[in-house]
Amino acid sequence: MNTTKLIFIFCFITMSFCHAQTINWASLQREQRHITSLNTGLDYGVTFGLAYHCQLKTTLPIVVGAEYSIPSGKNLVDDFKTKVGGTIRWISIGDFQFSTKVEGVFRRYENNYVRLNNFGSDLSGIIGYYRPKWFLAGEVGFDKAIVTHFKHTDLMKENFAAKDGWYNPATGGNLYYGVQSGLSWRSHDLTLKAGRIVSQDFKTKPLLPLYVQFGYNLKIK
Amino acid sequence: MNQTLSIISATLLTFFILSCEKELSINDDGNLVPKTVDQDASLPSITVNNTQLHAETFGNPANRMLVILHGGPGSDYRYLLNCKAFANQGYYVVFYDQRGSGLSKRHPKSIYSIQIMLDDLSAVIAHYKTSASQRVFLLGHSWGAMLATAYINAYPKSISGAILAEPGGFIWQDVLDYVGRSRSFRLTSETLNDATYLDQFITGKQNEQAILDYKFSLMASADESAESSLGNDGPLPFWRSGAVIQEALFEVGNKEKPDWTTNLNLYTNKILFIYSERNKSYGLAHAQKVSSAYPNIQLEKIIGAGHDMISFPTGWSTFYPKALNYLNAL
Repeated sequence: MNTTKLIFIFCFITMSFCHAQTINWASLQREQRHITSLNTGLDYGVTFGLAYHCQLKTTLPIVVGAEYSIPSGKNLVDDFKTKVGGTIRWISIGDFQFSTKVEGVFRRYENNYVRLNNFGSDLSGIIGYYRPKWFLAGEVGFDKAIVTHFKHTDLMKENFAAKDGWYNPATGGNLYYGVQSGLSWRSHDLTLKAGRIVSQDFKTKPLLPLYVQFGYNLKIK
Repeated sequence: MNQTLSIISATLLTFFILSCEKELSINDDGNLVPKTVDQDASLPSITVNNTQLHAETFGNPANRMLVILHGGPGSDYRYLLNCKAFANQGYYVVFYDQRGSGLSKRHPKSIYSIQIMLDDLSAVIAHYKTSASQRVFLLGHSWGAMLATAYINAYPKSISGAILAEPGGFIWQDVLDYVGRSRSFRLTSETLNDATYLDQFITGKQNEQAILDYKFSLMASADESAESSLGNDGPLPFWRSGAVIQEALFEVGNKEKPDWTTNLNLYTNKILFIYSERNKSYGLAHAQKVSSAYPNIQLEKIIGAGHDMISFPTGWSTFYPKALNYLNAL
C-alpha cells in the first residue's frame, strides 16, 4: 500500500461520519490545534460523516475546517455533502458563550433521472452554557441551496426533455433549529445534536423534518 | 508559489467561464417539467367543469365508451396508453389526465376534493357521450380504480361495468394499510435516502407547482427500485406528476375518512377485479378484502406482473384478453 493510498484512507476515516462539528468551547484548550470528528445521524437521511478542523491562533477563538458526509444506501458515492468554513466564538460571559458558524456547501444528488450539483451556504448561531465536562446549547441555522446544476439522464429525457444547466435563483433552502449537548474528558468529546427542519416558506416540511447527530471529537495538540 | 498561483488562477477562470452560462429558472414551466394544456395550445384538451383537462380519444365515438382512469393521485395516463388497443375491438377509448395531474391545468390546493374529481369524471363522460343510450365502462388503475368505485357508489346507474386494477381500498383504513405496506422502505435504503436527501436541493412553495411537480417526478424512481415491493418490471413512462393534488387528496382522505362502499351492494353488474402476482404489498387476501364490497366480482390474478401490470408486456399480454373478454361479455 503506497503513501497516497494511506493518506486517502486516513482522510476518509478521519473525515466519513456529519452535519457540522459540535464544539465544547469550555473544554477546547488553546494549544489543541487539531480537531478530528466522526459522526452519524439523520441529516436528510441516515448519514455518516467526518470532519477536520483547525483552531487558529487568534484573539477570538476561531475554528476552521472541512466536513464530508454521505447518506447510507446501496450506492455510497452517488450522493454526498462537503462543507468548508469556520466557527467564531464571539461572546463569553461566565459559562455562557455565543458563536456563529459560516460554511460554504457543495453537495451532490443522483438518482435514475438526474444528477444535481449544488453550491450553497450554511449559516448558524449557537448560544449555550459550557462547562469543561459538559455543555448544553441551542442553535438556529439556515441551509441555502444557492445555485444548482441539473444534468438529466436518458431515462428522464425519454419522458421529458428537461433542460440541463445551472438553475438560479436559489433552488431551495431550509431553516433548522435545535439543541446541542455533550460530554468532554481530556481530549475527547461525545456530542449529540437534534432539532427540527422547516422549508424556507415556514409552511412546508421536508420528508424527514428532523435532524439528529451523534459525534465524537478527538482534539490533538 | 508560482504553481499555486497558477492553479488558483485557473480555478477562478474556470468558475467565471462556467458562471457565464445562462441560468435557467426552476419554476418556469417547460424547463424541468412540460407545459400544461392551459400553457400549450398544441396539446389536446377539453374544457369542462371550470377546468381544462389534457384528453384524447381513440375509436369510433358511437361505440361503447371505455374511460381510462390513471393512478396516483397525481400520475397521468401516459403509462396506460396500451389501452388504446380496445379502440380496435369496438370501444371508444377516452383518456384524460385528472385535474391537477399530468398535463391538465393546475389549481390551488384548496380546490381539490373527492366530489370535484367525481364531477370532472361526470363532465368528461358527458363531453364525449354521443347518445343517451351509449354504454359507459370504467377502467381504473390503483387510485383510478378507487375513483371508479367512488363514482359507481355515487352514480351506480350511469356505469355499465368496470375493470379495477389493484385499488388501495374503498374505505380509508384499507387505503392506509396498503399505502403503509407499499411505501415501507428500510431507513438505510438507497430508495428512502434518494427521496429524503433531495429536500436540501429543491424546495417549493405551494404555488410553485412546477418545482413541486418536478420533485415529485424524481421520487417516481422509488416505485421502480429493486427495494420496492410493487414488483414492477421497470420505470413507468410519464409526462408530469401532480404533487399538489396528490398531497391535497391524501389530506382530504385523512380528514374525511371516506367510505365508498355504502351503495355498492346495490350494484349487481359484474366487476373485473385485477391484482398482480408480484406486488408483495397487495396479494390475494387484500384483493379479496377490498373486492368483497361488490356483490358480483370476477377476481383475476395477473401472473408474472407487478402493480403496473397494464404497462409492461408480460402483464399486458395476460391482462388484455381477460379485460376484453369481460367487456365483451357484458
